[in-house]
Amino acid sequence: MIEFVNVVKKYDHDVCAMDNVSLRIEKGEFAFLVGPSGSGKSTFLKLMIKEEEPTSGKILIDGKDITRIKKKDIPFLRRKIGFVFQDFRLLYDRTVAENIIFALRVIEAPEKDIKTQLKSVLQMVGLVGKENYYPNQLSGGEQQRVALARALATKPPILIADEPTGNLDPKTAEEIFKTLIEINSRGTTILVVTHAKDIVNELNKRVIALDHGKVVKDDVRGVY
Amino acid sequence: MSTNTYLIKEGYDNLNKHGSKTISTMLIICATMLILGIFIIILQNVNKNVETLRLEQGLQAFIEDKATDEDIAYMEDELKLIDGVSEIQYMNKAEAYEDAREQFKDQEYFLEGLENLDIFPASFIVKFTNIEEADRIKEEVEKIDGIYNVKYNADTIDAVISISKVANYFLLGVGLVLLVVSVFIISNTIKLAVYSNKREIFIMRYIGATNSFIIKPFIVEGAIMGIVSALISFIIISIVYVYIYGALNSSYALGIFKFIPYSTIWYQILLAYIILGLFIGIFGSAVSLKKYLKV
Repeated sequence: MIEFVNVVKKYDHDVCAMDNVSLRIEKGEFAFLVGPSGSGKSTFLKLMIKEEEPTSGKILIDGKDITRIKKKDIPFLRRKIGFVFQDFRLLYDRTVAENIIFALRVIEAPEKDIKTQLKSVLQMVGLVGKENYYPNQLSGGEQQRVALARALATKPPILIADEPTGNLDPKTAEEIFKTLIEINSRGTTILVVTHAKDIVNELNKRVIALDHGKVVKDDVRGVY
Repeated sequence: MSTNTYLIKEGYDNLNKHGSKTISTMLIICATMLILGIFIIILQNVNKNVETLRLEQGLQAFIEDKATDEDIAYMEDELKLIDGVSEIQYMNKAEAYEDAREQFKDQEYFLEGLENLDIFPASFIVKFTNIEEADRIKEEVEKIDGIYNVKYNADTIDAVISISKVANYFLLGVGLVLLVVSVFIISNTIKLAVYSNKREIFIMRYIGATNSFIIKPFIVEGAIMGIVSALISFIIISIVYVYIYGALNSSYALGIFKFIPYSTIWYQILLAYIILGLFIGIFGSAVSLKKYLKV
């Protein structure tokens, strides 16, 4: 599903953010990407959605080398990858439902699918009944659920979460992870960048550790 | 709601979000359009009047004094052969004197004692079917033997033309400057809209929005500003023109100058305004989007 082959990413002044990284994440897998600040986690995610170009190497998403796709095809690559941010990135002047519908409009989803898809993702993240609330009327955990629902609305086969619980208390964080695992059980490949050591250790999933742009650890049932 | 309806709605919502900015932008576009409208109207009126004058008055071909009746008949035949001549009128010396008297009605003392002196040359008044051919016909008339001078019968026209040319160039210059200003103002308004929608645009990009999906609402926003300004300007200029037409055309204040009825030019103005409005709106937005969205 996701494959990095000898990927090197150098920024100006020869800063090496990705140093010959090769790894493969299978379809339906759940993996954590961990490491200290500046280890290359963000670069890894940016390379996946083609926000950055590798200096050398190949990146395959769904079997397709994305380093070779044209600029105009980038939106279609991104539709395969749902993205959840640490700070939720919601539209605060729109309701929960409108935030989710926004994503469906962006991918130009057919009108008839919008309502059913909205209902389905609200159920998936446990926000039924909150569709007409504005994000500010919700707790942090609920806001992150809205962000999750928005990322899932377009039915991407891959979900990336960049520090999804970084702004949340431990109990809420745990609930968010439970939801992620449930989403994963329905077939979505999930890659989570996190510092939540306890949760990583508790969940017993694959852990990929990066440091100075190198994969320093990759355990199928790993710990932080 | 289809995707396009949604994008148009988004564009419209943007306009509402920046109400006062939208209004000031549209006021400036209206000012540009009114100036350009005045330019179009003056141009149309002057052109139409000059054409009418030329067609009405034609040109005058002066006959050499030594020409005999036979020569004159020959000249008339030659004139008849020229393409585009609609009417030929012979004016003998006596008639020329009468004509001069008519012109100097109030200063007849100028002509006292001249009646028997034969100083006014005989001539042909030649009228044409199409004003565009006037210069060619003039050249052909000049070639006829026995004709020593040809001039347009209305020298005043030339003065009108040169004044109108200067006025037109001036208005055109002002119009162009304002056009550039309008494009700049619209692009600035769109820049603001792009800035205030930064968050949306960022999220859209991550979700997988195509460039055209991102830019369409802004283009719609620019186009709506352009079209609404066009319609407002059209209404204002229509009212003003009809008022001026009513007030001045019936009086003698303008002499021979006649305003064209508005019914014959309104659609040209409307069309020009809509095209101009769309151009300013869409081009202005595009300039901004290219710069600030890097699309």
